[in-house]
Amino acid sequence: MNKKKDSSMHSIKACGLVAFAVLGACSFTALADESLALNSGHEYLVTTNYPNNLHVIDLASDSLYKTCKMPDAFGPGTVQLSPDRKIAYVLNNHYADVYGVELDSCKQVFHASITQHPGEKARSMFAFTVSHDGKELYTVANPTLLLNDRYEVKEPRLDVYATDAGLDAKPLRSFPAPRQLTIMQSGDDGSLYVAGPDLYKVNVQTGKFDVLVPSRHWKRPNYSAPDVLYIWNQQTYRHDFSLLYTATKFKDKQQDPATAEALYGLFSIDLKTGKTETTDFGPLTEIYFSGMRSPKDPNLMFGVLNRLAKYDIKQKKLLQAATLDHSYYCLSFNKAGSKIYLTGTFNDVAIFDADSLKQVGKITLPGGDMAATTTQIFIR
Amino acid sequence: MKHLKPINNKAQKLTQAAAEDRIEDVLAMNTVAGCASTTDPGWEIDAFGGVSSLCQPMEADLYGCSDPCWWPAQVPDMMSTYPDWNKDAQASNDNWRNLGTVFPKDK
Repeated sequence: MNKKKDSSMHSIKACGLVAFAVLGACSFTALADESLALNSGHEYLVTTNYPNNLHVIDLASDSLYKTCKMPDAFGPGTVQLSPDRKIAYVLNNHYADVYGVELDSCKQVFHASITQHPGEKARSMFAFTVSHDGKELYTVANPTLLLNDRYEVKEPRLDVYATDAGLDAKPLRSFPAPRQLTIMQSGDDGSLYVAGPDLYKVNVQTGKFDVLVPSRHWKRPNYSAPDVLYIWNQQTYRHDFSLLYTATKFKDKQQDPATAEALYGLFSIDLKTGKTETTDFGPLTEIYFSGMRSPKDPNLMFGVLNRLAKYDIKQKKLLQAATLDHSYYCLSFNKAGSKIYLTGTFNDVAIFDADSLKQVGKITLPGGDMAATTTQIFIR
Repeated sequence: MKHLKPINNKAQKLTQAAAEDRIEDVLAMNTVAGCASTTDPGWEIDAFGGVSSLCQPMEADLYGCSDPCWWPAQVPDMMSTYPDWNKDAQASNDNWRNLGTVFPKDK
């Protein structure tokens, strides 16, 4: 069951500006700059890490601007921003709760427990986002009923909350949902796009799930079923919702593995128009955990794990790759498309020039691992 | 299976299910997340049968796997069973020596 909340969790403390060398040194009394407001027009990166920090990095100086302390335990720390870029919603506390944190003040303004019914324990597998107008928040709960003599796995549900519901938010609406749902984004027309065995378009008023982009069930001639593991729920400058896939492309119906090509590709949904793409972008020669197209040139695709790699999508060709100090999970661009910020895994942010793929900086964050957090970059 | 004979109820049910063709097809891993019973390569070998696409160093992948109960056979499940496993090692690269092994408790 969820941890019982006490009143102290409602006060989110901040400490910032100084990168502490000692873990957990973010004291409640020192450097209490909770009210350090973000500046209009400035570009920021928000990310999270152990033990429970929400960091704001100013991209003009590539330095830590402030740190909000969040309640409860860490994990995964995935951040989704409100459309006005004032509130960061964080899935945290072992995937059990969503917190809304006002970035200017570090105040907690929203809280919803993924567990909603007596006797159940529910978790969300990275599955939450804010509506295009900022009024609603969507989560997918995967509940298990804990009975005296057995556990019962219940049907997942899409829960819809009002973002102004405060610190004990209850769903406005709940709908049955397919299994294995992960990341999601809201389209400009109010549709919700959700990744799972396929990519679904969801009517959030009726709860109707329609397959928009077939994934497990795609029918591409001479292709194997795609393999998808994508948990980075990023709000991009290109305003798209994208996931990487890998697949095998056979020469013919004989499906001879000896002559087949292993390929990387991306599913993408334009959040403005709802237009979809399923595009191979290059040979599969190494693993990337996340990827993103350049905001300035949509033909350039970047991926990261053990290397930072750049592909020409039209030519389906690896153009360049950079070696890294260690694995990074999550790749983000600044708005100009000139710099790439690598996050996740440990507690440093690596900064690369997007053209040369040379490392141009590194920011060490106070606290521990970022693990599987999702970073967002935005202009206030 | 001809040399294996079921001797308890669970094994008999498995044999019965196989005989009645009630075993589900194995699917390629596709958006699996959470306590995964998948055997997709990850800790021992990468998807190519080598090691160069494993996370480097392995600590970089540790909490990305333990937090969401990914490969719970290889790393402790921090989502439900061992939520405090890394309380003394919040920066895995520096504090990995503080991480212990875990064992199911006697009931």
